[in-house]
Amino acid sequence: MSASSRRAFLKAGGLALAGLGLGSRREAFAAALSDVRSGSDLALELIAMRSDPLGAHVWFDPIGLFVRPGTTVRWTVRQNVHTATAYHPRNDHHPLRIPTGATPWDSKFLVNPGDHFEVTLTVPGVYDYYCAPHEAAGMVGRIVVGKPGGPGAQPFGYWKGDAGTENWREVPDAARAAFPSIARIMAQHRVHVERRRD
Amino acid sequence: MQRLAFTAIVGVMSAGMMFAPTTATAQRSAPPGGAYQKVSALVPLPDYLPGLGTLYVDPATLPAGPFLAYDHAGQLVSSIYMIPLKDMNAKKGFSNLKAAHANVDHVDIVYNAGHPGVAEPHYHLIVWYVSPARAAQLSK
Repeated sequence: MSASSRRAFLKAGGLALAGLGLGSRREAFAAALSDVRSGSDLALELIAMRSDPLGAHVWFDPIGLFVRPGTTVRWTVRQNVHTATAYHPRNDHHPLRIPTGATPWDSKFLVNPGDHFEVTLTVPGVYDYYCAPHEAAGMVGRIVVGKPGGPGAQPFGYWKGDAGTENWREVPDAARAAFPSIARIMAQHRVHVERRRD
Repeated sequence: MQRLAFTAIVGVMSAGMMFAPTTATAQRSAPPGGAYQKVSALVPLPDYLPGLGTLYVDPATLPAGPFLAYDHAGQLVSSIYMIPLKDMNAKKGFSNLKAAHANVDHVDIVYNAGHPGVAEPHYHLIVWYVSPARAAQLSK
């Protein structure tokens, strides 16, 4: 899959921009785009999609983030192959863990370093998301937009027994353990995975 | 699980050490032919994976493989078997896995968090046909 084939625009409570595949020029482009956004009073937050060289450890950096409504969040591949995918039944029957008024997103696979995906988050609440090939290994992230609330603020099994949720998937144990708490995100605004020894 | 892992590793190593000159030539250079397909054509992965090389697999053998790995020059460097942790925890056995017909130099057993095609934690059992020094050059 080429980087250009992943170029896409979509709405997710706002504007999203995906997969420009800028290769070695990505940093310059990011800086330029950041300047443009700041000039128009739009906020941009960056999340790196990381891995160790062997693919044994994978993570979003930061794993927890607080933003104001209207902020654009950009995920960029640094190592390995990843996705940024919202917890939502439309995404392979995952449970709803973003605000009910928000549109789910799925970056699809971002294969090459520098490939990236953006979404603008306008509906307040908690947004939980995962990396499709690494969810079972605990590669997930959480964003609080404005103030905590919505399905993402509920316990993982809140939906059990509700009509229409029969085919929803459980959040894997490793993913449950990896999410930073909402309280920690509200206190620190950016939560990073602790530095790995390997 | 440890017993299963040991059995699988021994089986893989024994199979990899077999030598069958009648088919050796076909698999020692990319593409290996037969039912093998380039992995990057099957799932969204780069053609060349740093540290491993360019992979080919018979889709009927997924997820275990073998995946045949080739260097930049198209020379066979390893056979890789991908064993999901959940299968090991379930004490699942893997028998009669195919092997490339080349002399084994060494074996690596490496944990992987997942990737397209095997999107779950698993182990890579890598049967190398080249030295550790040559294997290290695959990272470039």
